[in-house]
Amino acid sequence: MSVKTASPIPAITRVWADQPLTVKGLVVVALPLAILISALTLLFLASRAETVAEDDVRLAFAIQRDTHQVHALLAEAAGGVRGYLLTRQARFLDPYHKAEAELPATLERLDKSIQDQNVRERFERVVLLTGQKRSGLSALLDRAREGSGDSDTQAMQVALESNKAVLDALRQEIDLIQRLESDLLDVRRQRVDDVRARYLGLTTVSGIVGLLGSLLAVYLFSTGIVRRVQRLEGNAHRLEQGLELEAFPQNRDEIGNLASRLERASALLRAREQALREGEERFRLVIEGVRDYGIFALDPDGYVTSWNTGAQRIKGWHADEILGQHFSRFYPAETRTFLPSEILSRAARNGTAEDEGWRLRKDGGRFWANVVVTALRDETGVLRGFAKVTRDMTDRRRAEEALLVAREEAVAASLAKSEFLSRTSHELRTPMSAILGFAQVLELDEAQMSATHSSAVQQILKAGRHLLSLIDELLDISSIEAGGADLKLSDISLQDVFDEARDLASPLLRAAGLRLVLESPTPGLSVRADRRRTIQVMLNLLTNAAKYARDGEIVELAWREENNRVRFEIRDEGPGVDAADVSRLFTPFDRLGHSKVRGTEGTGLGLALSKRLVEAMGGEIGFAKRPSGRGAVFWFTLPAGRPCSSG
Amino acid sequence: MTDFVATKDLLSRRILVIDDEEANVLLLQTLLEREGYQNTLCLTDPGEALEAFVRFDPHLVLLDLMMPGTDGYQLLEAFRRQGKPGAFRPVLVLTADTTVNARRRALALGARDFVGKPFDIVEIGLRIANLLEMQILYERLSGARI
Repeated sequence: MSVKTASPIPAITRVWADQPLTVKGLVVVALPLAILISALTLLFLASRAETVAEDDVRLAFAIQRDTHQVHALLAEAAGGVRGYLLTRQARFLDPYHKAEAELPATLERLDKSIQDQNVRERFERVVLLTGQKRSGLSALLDRAREGSGDSDTQAMQVALESNKAVLDALRQEIDLIQRLESDLLDVRRQRVDDVRARYLGLTTVSGIVGLLGSLLAVYLFSTGIVRRVQRLEGNAHRLEQGLELEAFPQNRDEIGNLASRLERASALLRAREQALREGEERFRLVIEGVRDYGIFALDPDGYVTSWNTGAQRIKGWHADEILGQHFSRFYPAETRTFLPSEILSRAARNGTAEDEGWRLRKDGGRFWANVVVTALRDETGVLRGFAKVTRDMTDRRRAEEALLVAREEAVAASLAKSEFLSRTSHELRTPMSAILGFAQVLELDEAQMSATHSSAVQQILKAGRHLLSLIDELLDISSIEAGGADLKLSDISLQDVFDEARDLASPLLRAAGLRLVLESPTPGLSVRADRRRTIQVMLNLLTNAAKYARDGEIVELAWREENNRVRFEIRDEGPGVDAADVSRLFTPFDRLGHSKVRGTEGTGLGLALSKRLVEAMGGEIGFAKRPSGRGAVFWFTLPAGRPCSSG
Repeated sequence: MTDFVATKDLLSRRILVIDDEEANVLLLQTLLEREGYQNTLCLTDPGEALEAFVRFDPHLVLLDLMMPGTDGYQLLEAFRRQGKPGAFRPVLVLTADTTVNARRRALALGARDFVGKPFDIVEIGLRIANLLEMQILYERLSGARI
């Protein structure tokens, strides 16, 4: 691995950067650790090699010491034997016994320790010589104990001489061994020094390699993680401040992923910001462009912070002139002291406040404004200001005022008209009351009158009653026209209406020699109308038939349903109406000259009154020629009602 | 005159007529005389009506509504205030204003009956007699109870 990272080729850096953080972390921790372990192993091996070399040195010293010991023991034993021979005192034999006791063990130790071949050859000589010396000494002692001593001095002399010669040979061998071992010691010491030097070098190298490896790990950590994390943090900071991000290498490890996520987030934020800005811009343009509404914003204290075209148009101030001014200057003096603050506190309390009233333009002129103030709060609920929408309602206000005046005038006119009708009714009826009343008084005394007087009284009564019905119908028409018809609309059964009309009209028709033919209505069929007035219209038309169609035989009352309406037809067999006169049929007082010719009675108001009544009930009235050409058809329609269960 | 009340009692009742129109007053006076009522007081000035009401203490008042100065409605209210509690003092309103409003207002103010002008004199005669008869019976009842 150290080989791999040692060559800083960009591709390798790239591969390194692409590794997951786990691998990077492993490498950064394992690299110095491996180097440390190898260095420790080397040191261990070195220390073991040194120990082995030192053991060899110690062994050489032991061999020297032991060979020296062998020589010393034998020399002292020989000295002791010599002393015993001279003195015959047993205490001189102590070194001899000591040598006899220790020599075998010492020789055995040497036998184990000696490894070098030359030394072993010498050692075998030493063993041999040691044996000769010990047996020589032993023979000397035996002879001394057997003989009387100086009798065999010559033989003793010879034995001592030979022993000495053996000891000298032994000394020579031992010196050789000592020399050989000394040489060996030098060699081994040299080896220990070599081993030490080698392992010192190895330790130094491994220390250097470990240092380099650590530095490399730090470098890798720095390039692979720390620096990139720092750059990433910088990008995060830029993102926080809404700045554009720095380009970041597209690596596949976690940091790379994080970086690309950050970039995507930044792009998303930018796109949103852009969209928001565009939306706000559009919104601002729309608001600024609105001309019919004055839209402007106030800060929480009521100072103007924005101003649109509509506000400029309605109030007259240009944005430059009014921004930063307090909005109370839009209010006339009489409301300026309390209304502005009142509206703002109402809006702050309820979220929104509406007001209508006079406001001032820049030129001092007034306009009638409809104002809606909305409190603007941020997400934490803190009041940020107000939005104010003002509409110029002056035209509407003027129209309303005009309408109010017109309505009051209309009510007054209607009242005046009712008052007039009431008074007219009174003024006309009061004299009629006297005329008819006194005529009736006279009538009561008819028996005492002459025929002429009696006829005169009857004429007064007849003309008076006619005049009275004229007055009634005239007032009726007038009151309908004044809107005072007082209609009670309800669903009324056709059957009921027909029954009542027949009961009321039959006697009159019979008197005129006519027969009433009714078309039976469908049970349950009804019209939405005023019952009394409907019957009044029906009777009117039937009475007309009785008056004008006396040359016929029957009068028909028919009906049919059409388009959610019910159409009634009153058909007679009389002379009908001339085409030229049809348009005047429903005109008041136009009796088409019939009265004079035929002597029919009537006010000339019946059809006019019927027309107004039918129209007041939402229907129509008209005249049609019969297909046969003879007779008249008067028709009227009324809105159909909901079906009645009564039938 | 009726089954329950003696004609003498009926005809001795005091009747006050108030109408600014002289012809009408005359008509009513003629009517009352023909019927045989003996105690009638006729006024054409409504300003004198209240004083006459107190002084004359009529059993029945025939009252016109539309009059200059003090009109019939004001008089109706004044009569009601003057009337003794528990007393039955009917007012018959006779008016040429036959509108529904006039009728309702007069009846609400305490008029006992309402007849539009022009009227049938026979009918008026009967209505007057009815009211007085009812009054006499009422008095008998309350007297008996006391």
